[in-house]
Amino acid sequence: MTSKATVSTAAMVKREPATTPDANIPRAARRSRNQFFAFRGTLSRRAQILTSICASLFVIAAWELSTRLGWINSLFLPPPSVTVETLWTMITQKHLLWNAGVSTLRVWVAFALSVVMAIPIGIAMSSFRGVGAALEPIVDFIRYLPVPALVPLSIIWFGVGETTKIFLLWLGTFFQLVLLVADDMRRVPQEYVEIAYTVGARPFQMLKDVAFRAMLPNLFDNLRITLGWCWTYLIIAEIVAADNGLGFVIWAARRYMNTSEVMAGVVTIGLIGLLTDQILRLIHKRYFRYL
Amino acid sequence: MAPAPYLVFDGIAKYFGDLEVVAPTFDLAVKRNEFIVFLGPSGSGKTTLMRMVGGLETPSTGEIRLDGQPIREPDRDRGMVFQSYSSFPWLTVAENVAYGMKYRLDLTPERKEARLAHYLQLVGLSDFADSYPNKVSGGMRQRIAIARTLAAGSDVLLMDEPFGALDAQRREDLQIELRRIQQQDAKTIIFVTHDVDEAVFLADRIIVFSKRPARMLEEVDIAAALGPDRTLELRDSERFFKLRTEVLKFVRAAAGHDN
Ligand SMILES: Nc1ncnc2c1ncn2[C@@H]1O[C@H](COP(=O)(O)OP(=O)(O)OP(=O)(O)O)[C@@H](O)[C@H]1O
Ligand SMILES: [Mg+2]
Repeated sequence: MTSKATVSTAAMVKREPATTPDANIPRAARRSRNQFFAFRGTLSRRAQILTSICASLFVIAAWELSTRLGWINSLFLPPPSVTVETLWTMITQKHLLWNAGVSTLRVWVAFALSVVMAIPIGIAMSSFRGVGAALEPIVDFIRYLPVPALVPLSIIWFGVGETTKIFLLWLGTFFQLVLLVADDMRRVPQEYVEIAYTVGARPFQMLKDVAFRAMLPNLFDNLRITLGWCWTYLIIAEIVAADNGLGFVIWAARRYMNTSEVMAGVVTIGLIGLLTDQILRLIHKRYFRYL
Repeated sequence: MAPAPYLVFDGIAKYFGDLEVVAPTFDLAVKRNEFIVFLGPSGSGKTTLMRMVGGLETPSTGEIRLDGQPIREPDRDRGMVFQSYSSFPWLTVAENVAYGMKYRLDLTPERKEARLAHYLQLVGLSDFADSYPNKVSGGMRQRIAIARTLAAGSDVLLMDEPFGALDAQRREDLQIELRRIQQQDAKTIIFVTHDVDEAVFLADRIIVFSKRPARMLEEVDIAAALGPDRTLELRDSERFFKLRTEVLKFVRAAAGHDN
């Protein structure tokens, strides 16, 4: 008697969740829980953005306070409020945006040149053992040369005009990019290649329709990262040989110990980087929906 | 006079470095429109033999001839369903299946469209035509590969455990369908499986392999015993059951168990 009752209760309890219609579950429970510190846990889009903003605000506040409270001499590190103010006067009176435009243009021209050359050469290096064997040592050697060390040579070869700047940026990214492209191609699964061949693709069709398409998401990521390096080399190039651009602006301000202008220049670069990266991420998400 | 064999393994051996995968020498003559099933222990070299027919691997000795021509490289006349049933993640299910016809210049776009619909229907993927492969189950992904290979329209089909990830019902449906296609479109098929039931149901001839290095241990003529038509009734028949038991014995012997 008792045991029978227990069984039927257990059965009821068990059945209950299954018979509860979906609509009765509260909204909050259905939404996936935010997991801030679970390894690879989930975090809603809104929570992510909020976290990003809060963290950034915290850093800015700490920076502002540390100078306001006199922990750091504001002559060496101007607080954000001053930096923003300077940024504004530089935009309105000192053609900051024009200089930023010049720098951005240099970065993109040099970067485009690197990409256009690195993609076919990188693909050839990983597709044909002969090309790989021939180029790998050369690329590896040049890749390790520090770009600043080549500035004098570059000036001797190309003078102080645009060519030098483009050349230095190209030098800093092309050889890295070639190896990254070659690596991306190497990682395309052999199965994909074999599928293409067994449905009758010719080698070029396989490369175009399958191998290149398969490596595209990784390639895009690598380009996004390499673009960032371009800015590093740009500043070096503009410091040594330029009379415009952000590197020039920063370097000129340094001469008068104008730290707030230096800071404003640096912040501008950071903002350009942030913006570019966000746009590229958005494109990545749009275009590689299937990932 | 008997017709000349269509696909011929002639004095094949295969080594990967020091590893002997196919023992010298493997010889087999496959007739046009014949359904061959390879049965054998894991790692015995079945996939390797098949890849050689596909032109994805070269024999260390001997040669494989198709219609008298030595096989040197892959082409559309030999379609493959790979063991790791891959599809392209950047294409939708329908685009993946259509990819099998991409390089066929003999088909008009309308014809391709019709074939696409037909093969999607056949493998039961019509409702998932616009999904991406990472959003469908493992069994569905396997069916993408099957449909793509059928759509490519190769005369020779090389199928490496193609039904492995399917549920029992879908598996049975596709077995019947595959056998029907093979009869109707005069396909020559080499099919690898570990499932003895499946082997007996599909095969005209079963080749039982030894452990590595692969050696042909037994050859079972199923066509002589069961005839060309394979139906569900046949599957439940005494004849089928007897044959299955016999083949199972060979398989056990090949794996080194005593029966
Ligand atoms: N490219 C390769 N290089 C070296 N060894 C290989 C290569 N391909 C296969 N082998 C080896 O050859 C042997 C046979 O492999 P194969 O894949 O042909 O076996 P199989 O009969 O298909 O096994 P399974 O039933 O598990 O799929 C294995 O020992 C495997 O490790
Ligand atoms: Mg195998």
